[in-house]
Amino acid sequence: MSDWLLQLGAHPQARRITKTLGLPLPLPQTLRRARGPWEARPLADRVVVMGGLTGAQPLVADVFGTVVAAGANPHVVGMPSPALVDLGSAYGRPPTSLALEALPDGLRPDALVFDATAVADSRGLRALYDFFHPLVGALAANGRLVVFGRPPSAASSPEGAAAQAALEGFVRSVAKEIGRRGSTAQLVIVEPGAEGRVSALLRFLLSPRSAFVTGQPIAVDGRAAAPAEPPATVRVLEGKVALVTGAARGIGEATARLLAGEGAHVVCVDRPADAGAVSQLARTIDGSVVLADITAADAPAAIVSHLAERGGVDVVVHNAGITRDKTLGRMSAEAWSSVIDVNLDAIVRIDAALDDAQARPAGAGTRSGPWLRPFGREICLASVAGIAGNVGQSNYAASKAGVAAYVRRRAVDLAPRGITVNGVAPGFIETRMTAAIPLLIREAGRRLSALGQGGLPSDVGEVITFLASPGAVGITGAVLRVCGGALIGA
Amino acid sequence: MPSGTDNHVLSGRRAVVVGGVRTPFVKAFAEFLKLDTIALGAAAVRGLLSRYPVPRAEIDALIWGGVVLPGLAPNIGREIVLDTPLDPRVEAMTVTRACTSGLQAITLAAAAIERGEADVVIAGGSDSTSNAEVKLPQKVVHAAAPLIYGKPTPADILGVLAQMFPLSEVLPRVPRIAERTTGKLMGESAEEMARRNEIPRAAQDELAVLSHQRAAAAIASGRFAAEVVPVEAGGRWVHTDTIVRADTSVEKLSKLKPVFAADGTLTAGNSSPLTDGAAAVLLMSEDKARALGFKALARFASWAYVGVDPADQLLIGPALAMPLALQRAGYDLGDMDLIDMHEAFAAQVLSVIKVMASDAFARLRLGREKAVGRIDMDRLNVHGGSLALGHPFAATGARMVTTMANELAATGKRSALLGICAAGGLGAAAVLENAAR
Repeated sequence: MSDWLLQLGAHPQARRITKTLGLPLPLPQTLRRARGPWEARPLADRVVVMGGLTGAQPLVADVFGTVVAAGANPHVVGMPSPALVDLGSAYGRPPTSLALEALPDGLRPDALVFDATAVADSRGLRALYDFFHPLVGALAANGRLVVFGRPPSAASSPEGAAAQAALEGFVRSVAKEIGRRGSTAQLVIVEPGAEGRVSALLRFLLSPRSAFVTGQPIAVDGRAAAPAEPPATVRVLEGKVALVTGAARGIGEATARLLAGEGAHVVCVDRPADAGAVSQLARTIDGSVVLADITAADAPAAIVSHLAERGGVDVVVHNAGITRDKTLGRMSAEAWSSVIDVNLDAIVRIDAALDDAQARPAGAGTRSGPWLRPFGREICLASVAGIAGNVGQSNYAASKAGVAAYVRRRAVDLAPRGITVNGVAPGFIETRMTAAIPLLIREAGRRLSALGQGGLPSDVGEVITFLASPGAVGITGAVLRVCGGALIGA
Repeated sequence: MPSGTDNHVLSGRRAVVVGGVRTPFVKAFAEFLKLDTIALGAAAVRGLLSRYPVPRAEIDALIWGGVVLPGLAPNIGREIVLDTPLDPRVEAMTVTRACTSGLQAITLAAAAIERGEADVVIAGGSDSTSNAEVKLPQKVVHAAAPLIYGKPTPADILGVLAQMFPLSEVLPRVPRIAERTTGKLMGESAEEMARRNEIPRAAQDELAVLSHQRAAAAIASGRFAAEVVPVEAGGRWVHTDTIVRADTSVEKLSKLKPVFAADGTLTAGNSSPLTDGAAAVLLMSEDKARALGFKALARFASWAYVGVDPADQLLIGPALAMPLALQRAGYDLGDMDLIDMHEAFAAQVLSVIKVMASDAFARLRLGREKAVGRIDMDRLNVHGGSLALGHPFAATGARMVTTMANELAATGKRSALLGICAAGGLGAAAVLENAAR
């Protein structure tokens, strides 16, 4: 599991020697990661430089307000409006005004945020260059770069659509350039009217919790219904019930721990063969266990009857998955079927049971409606292999590509009930499964990414936990890659 | 009777402040060097009982605040009862809530009286920075345990010695006013507040000068004579506060070097100094005060304690506590005739004043539409504050209650708002009303 290059890079002496000798070793940056549950001020004292905030765009107050409430020291290019000064002062963080042509010496921003929602032509795009060009070199290690745009389809002219689509190419390229320093870049595409839904996403993207997410366009829209009260920023899953399949180890275990850390009761599902590991996990996180093979015919009923004791479920994480790799000509029918069955069919069957309001057994209380409660969250594990395809994984990639379309379609169905459905596509994650890959292929998997290293199961868990949070209401029907900017499949 | 004053007193009994005194406030490691916090507390209580001769048998309880507590006798309230001496039947407790400890002791006393648990309670607080204990690290204590609690062999002794390296880990620790969670000195937190709330050095120095001038005027006019009792220390009597400087000026203060950051704005002149002292307040039920023939000076309309994240703005608590206390009492800031805010640092007071006048702060942090209001400097700390008088931590709350109760009674004004910030991100506030109105 250990990444020798990462360890070498973390050793200052070795780093110096490698540099002096001019060895062609691309030493990756040790990624800063969050510890413990969500904090009230995840960006405490970080320097965030914001551009494009001078206009009267509807996003300005949301972006600036999020940054100061999260504890960052805001820097604004140009003259900040009195409203922003007021907003910042309420948190004891009035904005510092910056001029791009005369940046102060020693400015080391931890994050660069640019609001490009008003960009409608190539002249507007130039402002993007003008903002990032002098600042990108000063960005601190483990820095963050976030651009806000609009859906090109919402543009009022072809030229406007082009300008907005250009943002994606820009962000994906910059992500690859700054990845060696552990920095990430994302594009947040905000549907007009959904401005009030960016706050939790921005907090997440600027925090170390998004360490292994980069080069992503993320759409925020108004499709899923939201409750009236604003979402909490800490203990975000208090009082919620979460279901995690394949919870015994790896990504499932990491996710269960993180969900529990936010206050959720986690129902851990895994096969009877993993009873020891899953029971121990449930004990440490004060959760509960359903021992079931999710492909068994009675598994959905067993899960539902367990959830009935808790009155339903708020967060469903379909994490369980398997690989049976063989090139198509050598692949047995069993290998094909079992992968499709676990990775795709089981999700469909469990969801059908969760959607079913009639399956409620006697004595389960008087609440009506489906087991998956209003304002719920569903997250399915997809894979970058499902996006790009992989030699020997026709079965696996097929199942995962299916999952991607499944969440897109299901999101439409569940939006009126305030339920979001998303996919998470891990890239190279350091798990037992990837540790078994032959050395050379493993090294290629690790290095061929913007961040030049593999991710941890908790990196995926952090993204799942974010998508499970009430603040993620604006994101639905999406597949988020957690791949460190994999050069293939991204 | 103003609105709201009765809604939270379910028993219908009202506690009133009958009087209060304090020792002179003296710079640490000076005149009061030999008086520990218990001795200072006992001096204040003796002074209180000489000024307000309540029959000893009527005293039910003593509640005392302390911040730097002696490790071997942490319930200093009880030690003060035994040392004063009061009747041993007077039960006593000690409360500790950083710099709001003194106010906490008094509001606990008021609550006990209003619940009908007591009729006469002495409450106050004391602190002696001069007698803060220098602690041995736990590593030494744990390592040495076999020597103290067992029958050590020479090998044990060698074993213990072997654990004493590196020496830096076993040297006694000098106490610091630092946050346990963040490790930051309180002055560093205040320095950060000055920077973040954009409080210039000059404004801080001006507030400090105002504090000194007002305190000096109060001393010169004899205004404090009623509430400061002389204390004998080492054969000499100390009659008056020793930190107040009538002759200070913005020019003089502007020459001082910053102490918490090289490019900072906080100096010894605009920060409250380490101080030794004690203050005690006599509280009674309204009926008991009448029966014993004591004049009631003031009563509590409300109080409030709040917490904020110490890693953010450590000393901003009063900006949340004061609006809450006002709301509980049914008042607006404009209704307050007097405002007494503990001056830990000029920068902290000015930060609190600034955000209380901000609509954005009110909307985002207090959940109310409009700002709490602008604090009128003519009503603020009319006889100076901790910058000039000094700040013996737990005594400060009792000093403020005493001065404000006396001020209400002497001027006939109706109400006073108190605000105190404290370590750990705590804040406290209280609304006092003139008992005669």
